[in-house]
Amino acid sequence: MNPIDDDTLHAYVDGQLDPAQAARVDAAMATDPVLSARVTRERALLAALRGQFDPVLDERVPERLTALLREPSDAGATAGAGGSATVVSLPTPRSGRARRRWIVPAALAASVALAAMLFRHAPVPSLVRTQGGQSFAAGDLRRALDTELASAPDPDAGTAIGLTFRTGDGAICRTFVHRAGPALAGLACRRGDAWALPVLTSPTREPAGPIRPAASALPPAVQAAVDARIQGDAFDADQERAARAAGWR
Amino acid sequence: MQMKNTESGPRVREELIQLLPRLRRLARALTGHVDDADDLVQLVVERALARASQWRPDGALDRWVFAIARNAWRDELRARGRSREVFVPEDDGAAAVADGGTPPARRLALAEALAALPEDHREVVALVLVEGLSYGQAAELLGVPVGTVTSRLSRARMALQDHLGTDA
Repeated sequence: MNPIDDDTLHAYVDGQLDPAQAARVDAAMATDPVLSARVTRERALLAALRGQFDPVLDERVPERLTALLREPSDAGATAGAGGSATVVSLPTPRSGRARRRWIVPAALAASVALAAMLFRHAPVPSLVRTQGGQSFAAGDLRRALDTELASAPDPDAGTAIGLTFRTGDGAICRTFVHRAGPALAGLACRRGDAWALPVLTSPTREPAGPIRPAASALPPAVQAAVDARIQGDAFDADQERAARAAGWR
Repeated sequence: MQMKNTESGPRVREELIQLLPRLRRLARALTGHVDDADDLVQLVVERALARASQWRPDGALDRWVFAIARNAWRDELRARGRSREVFVPEDDGAAAVADGGTPPARRLALAEALAALPEDHREVVALVLVEGLSYGQAAELLGVPVGTVTSRLSRARMALQDHLGTDA
């Protein structure tokens, strides 16, 4: 018996173990509910941190920051060799450094609220279960992944399916945004009869109003995961329906 | 046409534009404060542009810029003469979004827990847990051994878990 020490457990949760080491933790977790619970707790902390800060990625970058990165507007600057076509010469809004507002009390970002919600619900036992160090869809999320079609969305469903596609190794993956109860977004990939969740994050905030296509609301982390995995094109309505009929094999 | 930039200048500019969202995320995690974070980003962008010639194009720009950010924030804290006295305001103001009635105390729990960490712990949380750097990359950036990164992370995790509580 080699007990899993804290450093190993943390490295496991942070994805910093090599496959052999990770497999050892997986094996230990299978027989050690205490270890399993500790992993769940650490994952919940990670999810809370990501939920707290990842929404910053979707915020519009303030003009004063993007303005710093435009080409200088001095005469002739746009004639520079190899200049980018997107260069727009604009005066820098202020000369030198803009006023520093280190002490102004700020309104808290929406991300704080979302993350706290996520953390409160983490690890969202009704929607996500953990097994062997891997998160899997459960409950309503699993049902939605099994049955819902992006081409025929159910407006009452708590989960919206975005893209369905096949990866390089043949597995079917589906993106989802869950808005009822704990807000979650992520990527689910078929493993056996289950849906593994390699990416789980918080949804991009959407303005109130008409529903946008689910794909456009994908958080960058999910979009990146899709781009890294997708082989060919995303399924069309017929392919999606056929895949459901075939049990997502 | 006279030379107005170093060779790496335009490329740094382009890559910095791509990096801005992540840099803002890191700054938010380091400072715990929306306006502080963007002020920090502004300072970092200015410094990165000024030092563009020091960046080796074969090196990862994100870590180079993150190191500038970390050092700039340390300088700022030192200049303030206090290690850490930036608290999340009690009243989170009118701009806070509706959030389904989550009590403010809940919303602030993680922000407060982060704010209560020592700076060197918050740095590893920001670099590794928020930005996803490997332990080795964070160690190199901070100029400390990997073991120091992992022990800081371990203590930071414990403090965050304690602060948040699983059954509070």
